[in-house]
Amino acid sequence: MGADTFIFLGFNLHAWITIATVLTMFSVLLFTKLRPDLVFLGAIAILFVTGVLDAKAAFSGFSSTSVVVIGVLFVVVAGLTHTGVLQWIVKHLLGQPKSYSTAVVRLMLPVAALSSFLSNTTVVALFVNIVKMWSKKLGVSPSKLLIPLSYASGMGGVCTLIGTPPNLIISGLYADHTGTAMNVLATTIPGLFCLFIGVLSIIAMRRLLPDRKAPEAAFEDTSEYTVELLVPSDNPYVGKTIAQAGITEVHGGRLIEVIHFDEVVSPVPDKEPIMGGDRLVFAGQIDEILDLKESHGFVNADHHVFTMDEVDQNRQLRTAYVTFGSSLINTTIGHSTFEKDNNMTLVAVARRGKRVEESPREVKLQAGDTLLLECSPQQNIDTDRLSSQLQFFDSEQVPNIGPKTIVSTTIMIAMVVLTALKVIPLLECAFLAAIAMLLCRCCSPNQAMKAINWNILMVFAGSVVLGVAIQNTGIAERLAYGILDVCGTNPIIVMTAICFVATFITEFISNTAAGAMFFPIMYEAAVQLGYEPFPFLIALMISVSSSFATPIGSPTHMLVYAPGGYRFSDFIRIGLPMNLIILAANIFIVNVVYPLTPLQ
Amino acid sequence: MTTTIQEQDGKMVAILKGCLDTVAAPETEKAMSPLNDVEGKDIIIDCTELEYISSAGLRIFLAILQNAEEKGRQVYIKGINDNVRTIFTITGFINIFKFM
Repeated sequence: MGADTFIFLGFNLHAWITIATVLTMFSVLLFTKLRPDLVFLGAIAILFVTGVLDAKAAFSGFSSTSVVVIGVLFVVVAGLTHTGVLQWIVKHLLGQPKSYSTAVVRLMLPVAALSSFLSNTTVVALFVNIVKMWSKKLGVSPSKLLIPLSYASGMGGVCTLIGTPPNLIISGLYADHTGTAMNVLATTIPGLFCLFIGVLSIIAMRRLLPDRKAPEAAFEDTSEYTVELLVPSDNPYVGKTIAQAGITEVHGGRLIEVIHFDEVVSPVPDKEPIMGGDRLVFAGQIDEILDLKESHGFVNADHHVFTMDEVDQNRQLRTAYVTFGSSLINTTIGHSTFEKDNNMTLVAVARRGKRVEESPREVKLQAGDTLLLECSPQQNIDTDRLSSQLQFFDSEQVPNIGPKTIVSTTIMIAMVVLTALKVIPLLECAFLAAIAMLLCRCCSPNQAMKAINWNILMVFAGSVVLGVAIQNTGIAERLAYGILDVCGTNPIIVMTAICFVATFITEFISNTAAGAMFFPIMYEAAVQLGYEPFPFLIALMISVSSSFATPIGSPTHMLVYAPGGYRFSDFIRIGLPMNLIILAANIFIVNVVYPLTPLQ
Repeated sequence: MTTTIQEQDGKMVAILKGCLDTVAAPETEKAMSPLNDVEGKDIIIDCTELEYISSAGLRIFLAILQNAEEKGRQVYIKGINDNVRTIFTITGFINIFKFM
């Protein structure tokens, strides 16, 4: 019995193999820790070996224009990130807003604007730490701002075709099917409208965002800061006792240690004299302790400022979480070679939000412990290599702003404008921009190659191939018919129904895979209804990127999950209404901007 | 480390010899304690043969100074070497003692 003669529930054998492969693949991705690129490759291998796809189709993903564009864009983005564009944005746009609503707007708009050109994950990774510090400055819990940060990057990414991989994949497939390329700014107006609605919704639903202490807060309790101040030799308090100077108990903290030129005194008796050159170590609220500089004429010590947000020039403090399965579990840093191997020092350990009182290097580590590590400011920590042991969440060292910042920004803008005006096609333009970034030394060849994420490219290529299989085996067509049977022939209802399903499927699978799989379904449905598929696909692009309701819906959600101290349910609470609001906004605006036109 | 206390020209003189480090400090403090009981006389600490002074030593000097000042007396330091002078300079004690 051939594959075409076996028909069960309307699907032939190849279709069933595809369905089984897709379901197995997503179960494996959800429930195991296997590398996603390997899982996708495995799925392609099954489809190829079982004859569902021929060699050409099976490997079409690797030669797909959109996958190549994504690869080349990694280099362009590397040029932008290595020249400090993000730093410039942060410096000039975040500011000191007076209310939560303004803060949300100030945060979400620049993040969305950046994400529409850069990788969403890059933008969020760089903003996480900045937002944590910013939230402290504003007196707002970071959990109130980190979800909006992640949402903004997702909604911003939709605004251009190059902003997010599913847009490139869907537009690439559209070009393959119709021979017409979509404009790089095709999604801009609908995307901006959804962003606008999204920002308003976040402000309106702010109560649904949890008010939670971040895990690092354990390091930031009032009594946990230590600040070192230096006594100048000509200080008027030299020769006076600690009690006479009135610094034993100061507003916001206490003196825990005096370091004379030859001796450390701790605990400090009231009668201890102050000498020039002494280092006074205070524990408490940094701002208020630093007032002693004014009142007592002390100065900042040139090292040893143990705070999270006063990262001074002489040290780099990084926060990391002990991962599940880490080899550091049940060991102490003091007895391992970790510090020596990685050239960093453990400063403090926190467990379940509380700083562990023991000497940090003697603490037997557990999964989920938060470590505060110190290393030299120049040191580039290989977070990838350490990722099996520790997950680093604070942002990378960002380079300073200079002339190259303008060069890299100009290259990016030129690329978008030339593509939007259809002077040069996107693929060629992306290559030119990548070459320009390298020639202008916005990033080194090494940085460029390191920026290309082959694992992600492999997943994208795999997603495209799965989309092809879903189409070739007739699954897309059957599903399209099925949806038409249920939804009738009203195009807006059909569009809404497919977008609705896509929005929820994309919560559990990658946005790109959802885009590749739903493209044929949406395309077929539009054609069956006798309408031009273009507006349907624009709506699909926005839908597959609108995964707000689970932390696994997007890699950016995962980035903010631990630093925000979130729970799974936090995402569901605000994400479900967001999914529905953005879906409604999406369908509305797409139909306004791109009215449905019957196929010629 | 040796400490000798004697009276010269109506002033109490403490002659210190050796290293006034943390280890020697308690003994020196004890040896110098009679200076705290003296009434109506200024004090000279002769450091000509003092090789080193630790923060513990400075603490002793400071206690003698404060005690003397409360009684309206003066404390002078005599003949410090470069090593000890550096320590006095860094700690700012050079500004609170009188030197002769």
